[in-house]
Amino acid sequence: MIDTEKIFKGFTDEQTFAKIIDFDSVSQMWQNSVSLYPENVAIVDEGCSITYAELENEVALLRGLLLKQGVKQGDLVGIYAPNSLFFVKSYLAITTIGACALLLPTHLDKTVVFGCCMKFGVKALFYDESLKDNVSLIVDQKVNIALFDNNAKGEEKAMALSVAPASPSTVIFTGGTTGKSKGALLSNQAVIRGAKNGCYGIKEVFEQKLFLVLPLTHVFGLIRNLLSSLYTGSALYICRNNKNMFKEIAEFRPTTLVLVPALAEMALNLSKQFKRNMLGDSVKTIICGAATVAPYLAKEYDKFGITLFPGYGLTESANLVSGNPIPLEDATSVGFIYPGIDYKVVDDELWIKGINVMDKYLGDDEENDSAFEDGYFKTGDLVKINEDGMLYIIGRKKEIIVLSSGENVYPAEIENKIYEIDTVQDCLVYEYGQQLYLEILPRMEVVKALAIENLQSHYEERVAEINKTLAPHERIGKIIVRDTDFVRSPAMKILRGKNGKR
Amino acid sequence: MERDNIRAKLREILELALGAKAQEILKNCSDSSDLVSDLGLNSVGILYVVIGIEEIFSISFENACFGDFKTVGDVIDYIEKKTV
Repeated sequence: MIDTEKIFKGFTDEQTFAKIIDFDSVSQMWQNSVSLYPENVAIVDEGCSITYAELENEVALLRGLLLKQGVKQGDLVGIYAPNSLFFVKSYLAITTIGACALLLPTHLDKTVVFGCCMKFGVKALFYDESLKDNVSLIVDQKVNIALFDNNAKGEEKAMALSVAPASPSTVIFTGGTTGKSKGALLSNQAVIRGAKNGCYGIKEVFEQKLFLVLPLTHVFGLIRNLLSSLYTGSALYICRNNKNMFKEIAEFRPTTLVLVPALAEMALNLSKQFKRNMLGDSVKTIICGAATVAPYLAKEYDKFGITLFPGYGLTESANLVSGNPIPLEDATSVGFIYPGIDYKVVDDELWIKGINVMDKYLGDDEENDSAFEDGYFKTGDLVKINEDGMLYIIGRKKEIIVLSSGENVYPAEIENKIYEIDTVQDCLVYEYGQQLYLEILPRMEVVKALAIENLQSHYEERVAEINKTLAPHERIGKIIVRDTDFVRSPAMKILRGKNGKR
Repeated sequence: MERDNIRAKLREILELALGAKAQEILKNCSDSSDLVSDLGLNSVGILYVVIGIEEIFSISFENACFGDFKTVGDVIDYIEKKTV
């Protein structure tokens, strides 16, 4: 196995690399950051800036409130709130007494919120007052769950507690692209390892200015955006409404953005349309993941002086499994697997083991039985790793197309080749009527710039070239040029089962 | 701003948001076209339109939620009022 720590060390100066250290728990990491960066701004939300020391004071009061309510280490406490300072304070209060935060996405309705709280035995729930109606069932049914809204404030401060590395810290719901919703239980050491991994491969990573547009109930938002920010003594600006993101980026002047590819693409297109860099001149780094990152994005952003780092991760691995520190050399790779992750490739599927991997799916024995084997978590992602240790995602296990001939086709592997056509924004390969179909969503600004009149014949010519590089059973038979976007998940992934001819 | 002028500028924004074959979709576009079911705007498409409108017309949606607008005509009405 390649020592990727040595590789990542080459992308950061020694002083910075020495600061990328392990912590036992969210509690220990948070206490360290408060001690090292007390006067640094920690969070900016709705015009209010709060330093690490000030935030700790407010968190200490919420800790006191939870302890007074009898919440103990290992108890589950829900958070049902949009991205906000309130969310951050609640998360830190819960985890720094050793309780476990159950993150409830705000789109859940009152029946589901009630059902989750009952099913998992939640002891208390922090909720945003704008969602008050959706906690009404908990109130009406008079169940024994302590409810705290934004105005909740303890009377006495309580110190952060020492928390065991293996104790649970966070439950994040994940559905993947096809599966049913499951709650991944992540330990303290898992989320902290995830936050630590986010520091690798980037030259300027400590005491930065980050900008949050992703939901904190999503692993990418929670770990790479919030926890990596707190880990590094950085300031995190919370953008409450994505429509204001460019105005607020201009005001806050972040150095680092954490974006899904659809938002990175949008910022690029609007910059071209309005002939100015919508991200301004402060942004130097974009961390991009949670869906397939089209290779052209890194090249296009480089023209603006911004380095876009593609990465790969899963909710079940506390987000970060690999990161690509050399996107301009090879933008098709999701990079090197982070240090400390033991992995093997079994029938092309990536299996991982390490302290960043979840303990289990909460209350879902059936899923747990099939998720692990020999102590490894089976990611379901089909990969290739080259001799340098660079990881390439070639498909999802469930996405294998088994042809009537018995031959297997990995659609993502073919799609990666199609993405190299500069006029392709997104694409999808699937089988229909015993041949492979390719649906393409064009990148219109390139189509216009190249003055392409007949898109169908343009793609037929380009795909014919790619077909020559493919095995006969992998070749595209039909091309459909889409005039509308694909059906996507909330994380903007293309939902395979809901697109294409069926 | 005159309604026809607003409509023309809104069309430019919709072209960007709709991307491929925007011309074809917008060929039959009228004030009564539904933003989602007729034009096929998804959440990112709507974000494009909102940001584009604010940028081009120098207006802010403030407390208005774009989800309140059902048709192209609703959006034009709002811009017309805000640019008087």
